[in-house]
Amino acid sequence: MGAFIARRIAAGIVLLLVASFLIYLLVSLSGNPLAALEANPHIAKATIAAAREQLHLNEPLLERYWTWLTGFLQGNFGTATTGQAVGPQVLPRLVVTLQMVIPATLIAIVLAILVGVVGAVKQYSIVDHLSTGLAYVFFSTPVFVLAILLKDFLAVDFNKGVGHTVLYTIGQNTPGVTGFGNVAVDAIEHTILPVVTLTLITYATWSRYQRSSMLDVLNADYIRLARAKGLSPRRVLYVHALRNALIPVTTVIALDFAAVIGGALVTEIVFGWEGFGRFFYTGLTGPVSPDVNVVQAWFVISAAIIILFNLIADILYGVLDPRIRYA
Amino acid sequence: MNLSLSRPRARWLALTTAAAAASLVVAACGGSTSSSTGSGTGTVKSGGTATFALDEDVAGFNVLQANDNEFVLQEINDQIWPQAFLTPPSLTPTLNKDLLTSAAVTSTSPQTVVYKINPKATWSDGTPISAADFIYNWQANSGSATYKDLGGAAYLAASTAGYNDIKSVTSSDGGKTATVVFSAPYSDWRALFSPMIPGHVAQKVGFNNGFQTFGPAVQVSGGPYMIQSYTKGEDLVEVRNPKWWGTPGKLSKIVFRFILDDSQQPPAIQNGEANLVNPALAALSYYDSVKNIAGFTTKVDPGLEFQHMDFNQSNPYLANVNVRHAIAYGTNRQQMVARIVSPMAPSIKPLNNRLWMATQPAYKDTSAGYGDYDPAKAKAALTAAGMTMGSDGYFHPNSGPLKGQDLSFNISTTSGVEVRAQIEQLFQASMKNIGIKINVKNYDANTFFGTVLPKGEYDIGEFAWVLTPFDSGNQPIYCSYTNAAVCGNNWVHYANPTVDKLFTQASATLDPTQSAALYNQIDTILWKDMVTLPLFQQPQLFGWSSKLANVVPNTSSVGVTWNAQLWGNTTQ
Repeated sequence: MGAFIARRIAAGIVLLLVASFLIYLLVSLSGNPLAALEANPHIAKATIAAAREQLHLNEPLLERYWTWLTGFLQGNFGTATTGQAVGPQVLPRLVVTLQMVIPATLIAIVLAILVGVVGAVKQYSIVDHLSTGLAYVFFSTPVFVLAILLKDFLAVDFNKGVGHTVLYTIGQNTPGVTGFGNVAVDAIEHTILPVVTLTLITYATWSRYQRSSMLDVLNADYIRLARAKGLSPRRVLYVHALRNALIPVTTVIALDFAAVIGGALVTEIVFGWEGFGRFFYTGLTGPVSPDVNVVQAWFVISAAIIILFNLIADILYGVLDPRIRYA
Repeated sequence: MNLSLSRPRARWLALTTAAAAASLVVAACGGSTSSSTGSGTGTVKSGGTATFALDEDVAGFNVLQANDNEFVLQEINDQIWPQAFLTPPSLTPTLNKDLLTSAAVTSTSPQTVVYKINPKATWSDGTPISAADFIYNWQANSGSATYKDLGGAAYLAASTAGYNDIKSVTSSDGGKTATVVFSAPYSDWRALFSPMIPGHVAQKVGFNNGFQTFGPAVQVSGGPYMIQSYTKGEDLVEVRNPKWWGTPGKLSKIVFRFILDDSQQPPAIQNGEANLVNPALAALSYYDSVKNIAGFTTKVDPGLEFQHMDFNQSNPYLANVNVRHAIAYGTNRQQMVARIVSPMAPSIKPLNNRLWMATQPAYKDTSAGYGDYDPAKAKAALTAAGMTMGSDGYFHPNSGPLKGQDLSFNISTTSGVEVRAQIEQLFQASMKNIGIKINVKNYDANTFFGTVLPKGEYDIGEFAWVLTPFDSGNQPIYCSYTNAAVCGNNWVHYANPTVDKLFTQASATLDPTQSAALYNQIDTILWKDMVTLPLFQQPQLFGWSSKLANVVPNTSSVGVTWNAQLWGNTTQ
């Protein structure tokens, strides 16, 4: 197992290096961070030349990549085109994204397992058809569509109904709120809609996996034997069936979690959260973009998370299924 | 003038905002154009908060620095950094009497302006506002290699216009008088020192980088409000400046919320999360979604921004003035106005001047009929240009690279902007009507403004210019492209020595009435040469809660926060 993990990490590092170079190349060549300055008739040529020098844009691309790489290996993510250091911005933004993603993931897991199990146990019943239908609706609805629908048709009317704002549509908090209790309540109220959006989109896929996995297990010989031995339906379901049915779903969730972090980008944009996804989005489309250092930081962190969770998924599979052994 | 990116929101300020030229006061004695009235000047309660939804975050906090020089920062800065001259909605210049007791030209040879600073004027850290601030602001914005920022770097000034004509700034009366001597006459002198960065702070932290992140330097104020906090991508909060020596602001807080996607602003308004909006490029769909919100007032005024088309004369057919005239005659600008703008702003008409907007007193129709919609004249002009109508309904050139083929051009603009897409559709249909084939080829904003336009990789370009009240700023766009140092924004490859001479003359003419006439003379030539085709003034949408009083729309580049110290809540 140790050798397996070491091999996977080594391969991951090589992949990261190659990909970081390609991303750096693509982003650097995709646009001109000085476009806004150059198009402004009032900015002197000398100013633009000075800005070019400050952003090292007069250096060859390979040299700029090498500067980034050597800085990165020392923990320095470089400076954004707007002048701020990139490194200190990464963690706060990641925390913001996780504020949305972790609750959404946990709720989605519970919901997916519940819906998947019920759907499998009561296969082809009205409950199964209803849960299948809803899952397909949420599965095929784009995140931004669902988010906007929730904002326009749920939040406003709900708030009017209760007489004050409970469901917030913009931002992570209300400026100027003080006091620990008020801040906590305010944060929760801002989190509700983004978490609901992500949860609905996420649980839909997982519930289908859970249902499918559960059906496979329920039709297995050992379950038939367990029933034949006279075990109670509850014991058969929860002790023998569910545990085994969770194995594939667990690995899917582990693999998907990294994608959820990346997918939170759209949710962050719609709800105005200054999270990790929007950090990347601003780096590509902000006022002084493309900002290659910001995009590289986002890419490296995201890639590392994906590689890590892939590894966790592989390890979990081996732990949960004793038949799997890694050399 | 400024270029409006269509991202769509990077609206630059170009020249510092300040006041319109004094000519507007003289010419408009008793007749200045007024913007629409706002929510009145009723009595309001002290205290409370206003929340202004901005569709763009700031890049930094120094509005005079090239990278930070955007409209959204000016709106935030209106109540923070002092301005020598203010721009009320009437666009007539107003001396800022909180900052200055007087500002006057005391000599014309050389041009000398004397600023008398209010003895009470002081920065929020206790340092008096003095001639030292005028000296620093001049040096930082002059573009001269003599003056360097912290660390020896060149100042990244957003605009050197006017400052580079200053020979010296001297202090007297214990620092309360600043005397500015010009090396060459500069008619738009009222645009200068508006706003002013706190010189004593900038010297310590640096002009280029010292105001890029929120911190103590950013919190120094010389206005009624100061920045209390900033959360990137989220909000910026201003509170009353305790050291303000004038009438205190009514509101205790002004919150700027960054809601970058315009479509997210209407639900935020309905939810009470924002109570003031002024989107950069309001589409009809946005207007439709906010105009019916209960308890929310909307007002649409023609802005100092106009949509237009560039004709790239590097194209062998567009180099022929008859072809350009044909395109102008064939473009139904009235139809564009009716379909795109009129539902929001019925007063807007096709624009017949590039250098003045219809809402400015100096505006004059200089088109001499060249902008009239006349398909018959368009076809006659194409025939005069050596084209023959083909059997497929399109003109065929008799020479050049498209000889015998359909006369066709690409039209390019920024992708994903509703207003521009509509202009292109209507233009394509108009051109088909007169026998010109138009292909749409759009780009993202960075590519369009950063590469396509400057490198001339287009035939017809469609985008907006944002005016300031100072017409000398138009020179880089229309003066001869062969003078790359000065005319760096002449992307249409136009050259006319008469226009060059008139621009130089106008810029040096201190009498505002005479300089306005010279600019109109320039525009007459630009119509005759059909350098570009102005389409219409862009409507500016303002919206505010009915509970927020004293909001008065301002279409100049100072923005709606020009009088924010008077805003207040009608209920508490």
